[in-house]
Amino acid sequence: MAGTTKQSKPMTALLNEQSELSAFDSSAIPKQLRSVLDVEKVSALTLVKVDPLAILKIVKHARESYPTSVNGQLLGLEVDGVLEVTNAFAVPTQPGSEEDMTNYQIEMIQCLREVNVDSSSVGWYQSTRLGDFMQQPLLDVQASYQISPNNSSVVLIHDTSKSEQAGNLSLRAFRLSQVYQDLAKNGKFTTKELADKGLTYGNILEELPIQVETSALSKVLLSELQWPTNAEQELLESLQRPSSFNSKLRAKRMADRSAISDDTESSDALDSNLSGLLPTRPTAYLSRPMCTNALDLSQSLNGSGSLSRQLEAISELIDDHIHDANQWMYWKRGEAKENNRRQQFVQRKATSNAARVARGEQPEPELSEKELDRMFKTLPEPSRLDALLNTANLNLLTKGVTQSRGPALTKMFMAQALQGSE
Amino acid sequence: MSMLNLNLPTLASSLVKSGATTTATTTAQQCYVHPVVLFSILDHYLRRNENQERVIGTLMGVRSDDGRVVEIRSCFAVPHFETSDQVEVYVEHHQSMLALHKKASAREEIVGWYSTGSKLSKYAALIQDFYSREAAPFGAVHLLMDTDMTDGQLGVKCMQGSAIGAGAHPENCLFLPLPHELQYPDAELSALQTAADSVETEEGASVLVSDMEQLEKSIEELRAMLERVTTYVQDVCTGKSKANTVIGKYLMDMLAVVPKVDTKQFSTLFQSHLQDILMVAYLTNLTRAQLNIADRLQRIV
Repeated sequence: MAGTTKQSKPMTALLNEQSELSAFDSSAIPKQLRSVLDVEKVSALTLVKVDPLAILKIVKHARESYPTSVNGQLLGLEVDGVLEVTNAFAVPTQPGSEEDMTNYQIEMIQCLREVNVDSSSVGWYQSTRLGDFMQQPLLDVQASYQISPNNSSVVLIHDTSKSEQAGNLSLRAFRLSQVYQDLAKNGKFTTKELADKGLTYGNILEELPIQVETSALSKVLLSELQWPTNAEQELLESLQRPSSFNSKLRAKRMADRSAISDDTESSDALDSNLSGLLPTRPTAYLSRPMCTNALDLSQSLNGSGSLSRQLEAISELIDDHIHDANQWMYWKRGEAKENNRRQQFVQRKATSNAARVARGEQPEPELSEKELDRMFKTLPEPSRLDALLNTANLNLLTKGVTQSRGPALTKMFMAQALQGSE
Repeated sequence: MSMLNLNLPTLASSLVKSGATTTATTTAQQCYVHPVVLFSILDHYLRRNENQERVIGTLMGVRSDDGRVVEIRSCFAVPHFETSDQVEVYVEHHQSMLALHKKASAREEIVGWYSTGSKLSKYAALIQDFYSREAAPFGAVHLLMDTDMTDGQLGVKCMQGSAIGAGAHPENCLFLPLPHELQYPDAELSALQTAADSVETEEGASVLVSDMEQLEKSIEELRAMLERVTTYVQDVCTGKSKANTVIGKYLMDMLAVVPKVDTKQFSTLFQSHLQDILMVAYLTNLTRAQLNIADRLQRIV
């Protein structure tokens, strides 16, 4: 550090006095950010801290383009193994070309820099629909972000429909694991390689814990939103409006009933009745931005709709999985057959040689490995990567469904309690 | 006798009757604000340069067809420079950010501008005029966020400009208040809830919890609410606290919403639903177990 300050002095002496570059004074930087200056340092990421502003921007962007998935950039800083995401911006979905996209990002970052927003990109985000985000393009993009070892970048995956239904924000941070990166360099994903390196479907991406960190002013804003100071008066005023509460819910129940006319399950009828149990937009009547969707007992439109979609996706993926397994077995059998023929050929050669020697003739020359290879060609093993991604997606989906069953069960018992019956 | 010519916003589009340039403005009656905008303004304010007191920026959003309802969906910051006798807004920055923003979300257009501080700056009228021209043919909405926290709260005020005075000079502008309402789409609600948990903790950090834990928290909240309501009702019944007919009617309405389903029908529905849930859970667990086994077998082979 002392070396850099000494060097900067002669440099500024060369520069014009009026220039904007001032002498680099490292003492002006607060202690906790000192490690950022050290460009050679590589620290493993342990935590991702996200600012609510970035989260809200991601959520808004994903919600507006639902159900198409969207992506965008994350901006922030990495300090001592903690990646702080302070801002995010959306990337247009139909860029003209690769160049346009990079130009857009560069321009955006430059504009944001003028208002003192962190201008270093720390990753990107993507929204997903059902939760099966393990696709090849995602891995490729993340690989391009993680190229240099001290370029710490994560991909944040946000699931819009899950956040809305469960009333719980669905945001996950991932990085490519070292294992996958090593294998990807060679580009060979054979069974042997996978077994050697230990790459399984759970290993491809490693997940990082996320924390939501708010600044002091944001805390004030949040508590403002929860408990506005003139809440009582506003509340009384809103209550005096003629039964807007009931009419809204009655309309919703009518809509629910007409929408489930093609659904023959009787359980849906129950749910449509219970959908009127709690207001779906409480903020006009409650003073806090509490998300009551977690308590929403209706699983008719949103709930079972998404559940049946997930189950359909799962069954399709299972078909693909079986198909992949069959392909591989077919190849394996072919390889085994070829090997068998090769063995037999070698044996026959050996026995015929022995016979010739017995007769006193010259034995035929042994065929070398290479010539044998030329005679008995086997196809190279098909890449297992697709099957691996498939399995990973399947795992994600099934895990999601299993996890959603717990709250569903609880909500059912809650409905029972509310009925006051046995 | 001197006369003041006040042009108040009317329902129909109003034209300034004077020789100067006229802008037909349709005035807004109600405005909805998304939470992203508020957090964005705060962030910009936190990152301002050392000598700046206030920050300004552009508000983007959508309008209803007649311009009466304005929905402010997002915003971006515009650097500006203010001294006691002049103000300078970096228009090129504004234009380039606008172009970039349009590429990402084509539906949004300029609806107004924001600034921070407890009262309007001297140059608010000028800036309002600039933005009115940008947002033409509709008027520009001005959002003022009180970061100085007078009254001990971060007040948010929306207002509209309307011309005042004998001649239509851009400096003559009266800012009339506009009723505003915060709008929370469901997905943002869940994000805000997670962020709101961080208000309680010391370091201001909260962790993302699983769905089950979130449900547990919500149920606790509901129980607390029910407790509050029951104690209030009991107090009113025993005469300890005064009865308020409005609240009473509201509570009655609310309880009437709970549907009463025939017990036998309910228990059959309950059982069938329970079986569905258990079946789905069992099958998905089975699938996961099979994937695991298949994976390990592969590796042995």
